[in-house]
Amino acid sequence: MTAQSALSRLLMPVAALPAEMNIADVADRLLTAECRAFLSLPVVDDAGRPLGLISRYTLQDIFMLRFGRDLHGRKPVSEVMNPAPLVVNLAMNLEEAAQQVTSQLSYPITEDFILVDGQGLYQGLGTVLDLLKAMEQRVAQRNAVLRKTLVDLKESQTQLVQAEKMASLGQMVAGVAHELNTPLGYVKNNVQLLRELQAPLLELAEAQTRLIDCLNDPACDEERLALALDEAARNRELAAPELLADDFEQLFADTLYGLEQIGELVVGLKDFARLDRAMSEDIDLNDCIRSSLVIARNNLKDKAEVVCQLGELPRIPCAPSQINQVLLNLLTNAAQAMDGCGRILIKSWADDAAAYVSVQDTGKGMPPEVLKKIFDPFFTTKPVGQGTGLGLSISFKIIQDHGGSIRAASQPGRGTRFLIRLPRAHAPLLQETA
Amino acid sequence: MTAPTRILFVDDEERILRSLAMQFRRDYQVLTESDPRRALERLQSEAVDIIVSDQRMPQMSGAELLARASEIAPNSLRILLTGYSDLEAAVEALNSGGIFRYLTKPWNPQEMAATLRQAAKIAASQPATAPLATGMANSPPATALNVLLLDDHAQTQASVAEFCRAGGHRLLHARSLAEALERLNDEPIDLLVSDLKVGGEETAPLLKSLAQAQPQLLSLVVTPFQDTDALLKLINEAQIFRYLPKPIRPALFEKGLHAAARQAQHWRAQPRARVAREAEVPKDERERNTVGHLLGMLGRLRGRLSA
Repeated sequence: MTAQSALSRLLMPVAALPAEMNIADVADRLLTAECRAFLSLPVVDDAGRPLGLISRYTLQDIFMLRFGRDLHGRKPVSEVMNPAPLVVNLAMNLEEAAQQVTSQLSYPITEDFILVDGQGLYQGLGTVLDLLKAMEQRVAQRNAVLRKTLVDLKESQTQLVQAEKMASLGQMVAGVAHELNTPLGYVKNNVQLLRELQAPLLELAEAQTRLIDCLNDPACDEERLALALDEAARNRELAAPELLADDFEQLFADTLYGLEQIGELVVGLKDFARLDRAMSEDIDLNDCIRSSLVIARNNLKDKAEVVCQLGELPRIPCAPSQINQVLLNLLTNAAQAMDGCGRILIKSWADDAAAYVSVQDTGKGMPPEVLKKIFDPFFTTKPVGQGTGLGLSISFKIIQDHGGSIRAASQPGRGTRFLIRLPRAHAPLLQETA
Repeated sequence: MTAPTRILFVDDEERILRSLAMQFRRDYQVLTESDPRRALERLQSEAVDIIVSDQRMPQMSGAELLARASEIAPNSLRILLTGYSDLEAAVEALNSGGIFRYLTKPWNPQEMAATLRQAAKIAASQPATAPLATGMANSPPATALNVLLLDDHAQTQASVAEFCRAGGHRLLHARSLAEALERLNDEPIDLLVSDLKVGGEETAPLLKSLAQAQPQLLSLVVTPFQDTDALLKLINEAQIFRYLPKPIRPALFEKGLHAAARQAQHWRAQPRARVAREAEVPKDERERNTVGHLLGMLGRLRGRLSA
C-alpha cells in the first residue's frame, strides 16, 4: 500500500465553489444532500487553486446576527471564508498528513481539509474524522505486526536456548560416549581373554573326570588307567591352574571395575540429562558438582587437573539439571581457556543466607573489555561454529531465575574465577523453564 | 626369527595395559607405560619395534608421543589406539607421527592381533629398508621423481608445479580416474598428489588399490573434506603419507612434498629393498570389490612389478 493511495482513499470529490458565489447560495449548497457530510466547502480560483474554506460554523454566525442573511447574503463568499485553510498534498503519506492536520487544527473542529495534487490544484476534501480513523487503523496494524514480531522473537529465543542446551548436551553425550570406550575396550578384551583361559581348565576337568571314571571302574585295565593318568597330567600342565589364579583374579577385578565405571557414566548421563526435571526442594550442590565432573571428566583430563574443596552445604531449593548445565558450561569454558595443562579449583561453602560455588582456572584469563561482555547473549571469543555465544548468558539467566547471582573476575595470563551464589530460601518467582 | 618382537603399549588407564599385556604376552615381548614421558625415556635406551599409544593422556597426547617416537625410533611402527574419533589428532598422528594404523576402542581382539602380526612381520623384515625418519639429516641422492597430480584446483597445481620445477621432478596431470590409471600404467609414479574427489569421482578406492599394488608410491591427500572416518580408512587401507586440508597452507604442503620426495628418493636408491609398508584390505565389501576391479585395471603395473 503506497502512501499516496492511503490519502487518496480519504479523498471525497466535492464540487468547489467559485470565489464570487454569494453567501446565501453557499448556504443553500451546504443544505444539499451531497454536501451534508462536510463541515465546510472549498473555494477555488479559476485555475482550480484553493483559495479558502467556508464552514457551516461561519455561516451560522452570520445568519445568527440580526438581519444577518439580508445584510450579508449577497456578499461573495471570499469575504467571509477562511483564507488560510488546511491544504494537504495527496502525495504525502498518512503520518505526515496526520501530523500536519493535527498541528494546525483549531478547536472546535469546524472545517475539513483540502487535498491538492502535485501542482497544487484542488482535488477534493478530506474529513478529519476519516483521517483519524485511518490513523487508528494504521496503529492497530502496526501493533499487530509488533505483537507478531514479539511472539516470533520469544519463539526464536526459546529455540536458541533450546539449541544451546542441545549443543551442550550433544557435546556431553559425545564426550561420555567416547569415555565409555576405554572401559568397554578392556572389559571386552578381558572377557575374550577369560573365555580363552577357561578352555584348558574345562579340558582339564574333563580329563580328570575320565581318570576318576577309570579309577571307579573295576574293569579298567592298567593300560587305560595309565593313559588317563597321562592325559590328566598333560592337561594339568597345559592349563596350569596355579598360574591362572592370579590372572583370573586380575581380569575379574578389572572387568568389574570397568563395568562399574560404565555404570557410573550412565548414571551420570541420566542425572544430567533430566531436562524436564524442574525444581527440587533439597539439593546438595556438591552432588551437582560431582555429577558434572563425571560428565566433564573426559574433556578435562588432558587439559587440567581438577582440585575440589567442597565444604558442607545446606540443602537448597533448585533445579539440579539447570545447575548442572551451568556447572558443565563453566568447566568446559575453563578447560578451553587452558593453553597447556592447567588447574581447575572448585570450591563450595555456605553462610546463613546462601550456598556458594566457585570455579577457578589457571587459563588465559580475559581483559576487562571482554569480561564486561561475557554474559551478553551472542558474545563469544571462540571461532565461528564453536560456540553459540549463549552458554554464559543462559547460565546467567538460570542463576538469576534461582534468585541467585553469578559473577566473574579475571586476570589476563593468570586465570578466571566464577562465583555462583544461590540463596538458601526459596526464591519467590521460580519459573519451571527447564 | 631371532629376537622376539618388542611391543610398547602406552595408555594412562592401567587396566587397558594389563588387558593388552595379557592378550599378547605369549606372542611378543610386551612392555607397558602409563606415562608417555616415561615411554619416551624408555625409547631412548631400549629397542622397540611397535608402539601402540592411546590419544588422550594427561601428560601428552598420543599424536605428540608418536611424533617424538618417530624421531627417537624411526624404525618403529607406530599405532594410535583411541576411543575418541578426533580428526585433528588423527591428522597430527599421520603427518607428524607417520602412523601405521589408527585403531579405535573398544577394539576387536582378533583384528588387533592381526594388525600386530602384520606390524611384527614388517618389523622383522626391516633394518635394510627402514622408512626415513622425519628429521633425518643425511639426505638420499636427489634423483628426479615422477609426480602425478590428480586435482584440478589451481592452487594445488601451482604449488606442485613449483615444487617439481625446483626439484627437477617430472609432473604428470590426470583429470579423471581413467586418466590416472593410464598414467600409472604408462610409467612408474613415485608421488601422487590427489584430492578425494576429482571430476565427480571418488579417488579413495584408487588410493587403496595403489597401496596394495605399489606400496612404495607415496600419496598425499589434499582435501576440503573433514571426515574422521574417511581419514581413518585412508590411513589403514591406503597408507596415505600425508593428509593436508584445503585451502592449502603452502608451508605445510611444501614440507609434506619434500618429506615424500626424500622418502621416495631413499627407496629409489635401494631398488632391491622390500618396502616396509602394508595396507589393510578394505573392510567394506563394496569397496573391496571396487578396489579389486581397479587392481585388475592396474594389471600391467603389477605385471611390471613382479617381472
